[in-house]
Amino acid sequence: MATDTQLNRDIGRTLLAGVERIHETLDSYGLVPTVTNGIALLFVVWTLFPVYWMVSGSLRTRSDLLATPPKLVSTALTVGNYPELFVQRPAFYEFLFNSAVVTVGSTALAVLLGTAATYGFVNYEFPYNLGRFHLPFLVLTTRFLPPIVTVIPLYVIFDTAGLLNTRLGLMLAYAAFNIPFVVWMLKGFFAELPDSIVEAAVLDGHTELGAFFKIVLPMVRPGLIAATIFTVINAWNELLFAVILTSNTNAQTLPVALATFKTAYAIQWELLTVAGTIAMAPVLLFAFLVREKLLRGFTMGAVR
Amino acid sequence: MVRVRYDDVTKRYGNEIGAKDIDITIDDGEFAVLLGPSGCGKTTTLRCLAGLTDPTEGEIRIDGTDITDKHPKNRDIAMVFQELALYPHMDVAANIGYPLKVEGVDKATRRERVEEVAETLDIGELLDRETDELSGGQRQRVAIGRAIIRRPSVFLMDEPLASLDAKLKVEMRNEIKKLQRELGITTLYVTHDQEEAMTLGDTLIVMNDGTVQQVGTPTEVYHDPANQFVAGFIGSPSMNFLQVRREAVGSQRVVAADDATFSFSVTGLPTAVDDTEPFVLGVRPQYFSVHQSPVDGAAKAEVTVTEPMGDEQLLTVQLAGDSKELAVRAPFDVAVSRGDTIWLGVSADSAYVFNAETGARIRQTEASPDAAVPTGSRP
Repeated sequence: MATDTQLNRDIGRTLLAGVERIHETLDSYGLVPTVTNGIALLFVVWTLFPVYWMVSGSLRTRSDLLATPPKLVSTALTVGNYPELFVQRPAFYEFLFNSAVVTVGSTALAVLLGTAATYGFVNYEFPYNLGRFHLPFLVLTTRFLPPIVTVIPLYVIFDTAGLLNTRLGLMLAYAAFNIPFVVWMLKGFFAELPDSIVEAAVLDGHTELGAFFKIVLPMVRPGLIAATIFTVINAWNELLFAVILTSNTNAQTLPVALATFKTAYAIQWELLTVAGTIAMAPVLLFAFLVREKLLRGFTMGAVR
Repeated sequence: MVRVRYDDVTKRYGNEIGAKDIDITIDDGEFAVLLGPSGCGKTTTLRCLAGLTDPTEGEIRIDGTDITDKHPKNRDIAMVFQELALYPHMDVAANIGYPLKVEGVDKATRRERVEEVAETLDIGELLDRETDELSGGQRQRVAIGRAIIRRPSVFLMDEPLASLDAKLKVEMRNEIKKLQRELGITTLYVTHDQEEAMTLGDTLIVMNDGTVQQVGTPTEVYHDPANQFVAGFIGSPSMNFLQVRREAVGSQRVVAADDATFSFSVTGLPTAVDDTEPFVLGVRPQYFSVHQSPVDGAAKAEVTVTEPMGDEQLLTVQLAGDSKELAVRAPFDVAVSRGDTIWLGVSADSAYVFNAETGARIRQTEASPDAAVPTGSRP
C-alpha cells in the first residue's frame, strides 16, 4: 500500500511526465517559445491590468470611465482630473506631505534600529538569546497578532503620551511594526558575513562601531535596500493605524485620504484614480531605480 | 626589538578550557609556530595575542608592556585569517591599502606603499582587480599584503594555507618563510599540519587539550619529544607505540605488556623501568630494521599492506600474536608482499620510552649503566 509520500511522489512523477510530453509535442511543432511567451504575457496582463485601469481612469471623464459596456481603450483622454483633484481637495497636498514625512521617518528609524539589532543578535551572545534564535524570534512574534488587536492599547498609550494625531506618533508606530521585518530580512545577510571580516577590520585599526559602518554595512547593502523598500511600501500604504491614530490633516496620510473618496452618496472614481496614481508614483519610481539591488536583496545569497 | 611574552595565560569558555597556563616567549624576529590538533587551543592562544579573545587569567606583554586589556587596533598587530577575510566590496589595491586608510595616510603615499607591497608579493598587475576575480593563491597574497603594509610589530597567521591545494601550499610556504626572514617581523603562526610547522618555524609550540606540551626547535620536538603526545603528533607516518614491559630486571628485551605474545631486544632502555610496570615503547617507522629470515632479538610479524613510495616502501605489519598494526619504512629493495612473514628489529637507541599512564617521557638517567649510548646522536 502506498504511503502518502509515495502517492505524492507518484502524482508528481505523472504530472512531470505529462508536462514533459506536452513540451515534446510543442517542441516538435516549434511552438515552445510562443507558448512560454504567451503564458508570461498572460501573467503580465493579469498583474498590470489594474494598474493600467487606474492610470488610464485618471485620464478619462467620469462618464467615459463608467461606460457600459466598459471601454478598455478610451479615445477621449483628458488631464483635467488632476487639477480638479486639487480644486476639490485642497488638503491633498497636506496628506501627501504627511505621508512623505511619516514614511521617510519611520523607514529611517526602522532600518537603523533593525540593522543594529540584527547585527547584535547575530554577532553577540546574550545569556537569554537561546541558540542565537530566541530574541529575533520574539521580535517577530509581535507580528503574529492581527494589527487591529494592538491598535487599541496603542491608542490608549498614544493618548496618554500626547502622540495621537501627530506624525511622530505614526512614525513610531510604523517603525515598531517594521523592525521585525527588517530584522528577519537582514538576519540571513549578517549570518553570512564571516566573523573574521569584522575582526580583520578591527585589527586594521577600526573600532567595533567603525567596522560596522565601514565594512559590515556596505557588505549587506542589497539586504538594506530590500529592507528599506519593504518598509517604505508598508508605511506608505498603511491605512488601519492611520485611520485610528489620526483625526485630521495634522497627521492623516494618503491612504486615509483615498478612503474618503468613497462617500455615503457616491464614489468619486475619476478623482480616486487620480489620487491613487499619485500615491503609487513615488514608490514605483523608487523601486524602479533600485530594481537590480532589490532583486538581489530578495533572492539572498548576495554576499560574496 | 619586539618580544612577545605570554605569562600564565588561561582562557575559559564557561566551564570549558580554551587554553590553560600558556607560558611562552617569542623572541624578536622569531618565527614561532603553534602546532596541534584541532580544538587544542592554538587558535585561542593566537587570538588572545591579537586581542580578539580576552584571556580569563594571565598577562600578555609585548616588549614588557602589558597589552592584555588593550584594544586590538592599538596593539600594532596584523593578522592573516584562515578565511582570508578580504573586503569583498573593495578591489585589490583598496584591500591592501585599507589599514593605511584607516590610519589616515594620504592617498599618494598609500598608493606608493600599496605598489611597493604588491611588488614584493608579485601581484603588481592585479591591483585593479576585484577580489572575486582572483585565484586562491592570489587572494592569499592580497591578505598577506594587507597584513604587512602597516609594518606591524607582530604578525599573526591562523592556518592561512589551509584552503590551498598541495602544490600551491608548498610554494606559498616558501614565500611566507622568505618574506618573514626579509621583514624580520616577529611572527606567530597557527597550523595543525606538522609538516608545515616543521618547515616554517624557528620554534614549534606543540599544544594539546589547551596546554603547551613542548616548546622547541623542529629538530628538538622531532628527536627529543617531551611526551607521548608530541612523539605521536610530530612525524609522518606517526610513531608506533607498543604497550610492553621489560622481560627481566636488567634485560634488554621487552615483551608485550599483558600476555608476552611478542618479544624483541631494545638497547638503551632507561634503568627507571623494571619488569613489573608496563610502559609504552615508541618507535618511528624508519627505525625498524626489516629482515626476511629470523634474526636474534627481532620480533616476528606479518605484512598486511605494502605501499611502494619510490626509494622506499611503507609496510603495515602485525606482530605475531598481537592485533596492533605497526607502520614500518623499509628500503624499496626488500622484496615483501602481503601475507609474507618478516622479522623486525629495533635500531640501537632509537626507541622512546613513555609512562604508560601519564604519557610522560622516561629518559635515560646519566648515571645508569644502560646509558652507555654508543651512537649518542639521538637522546
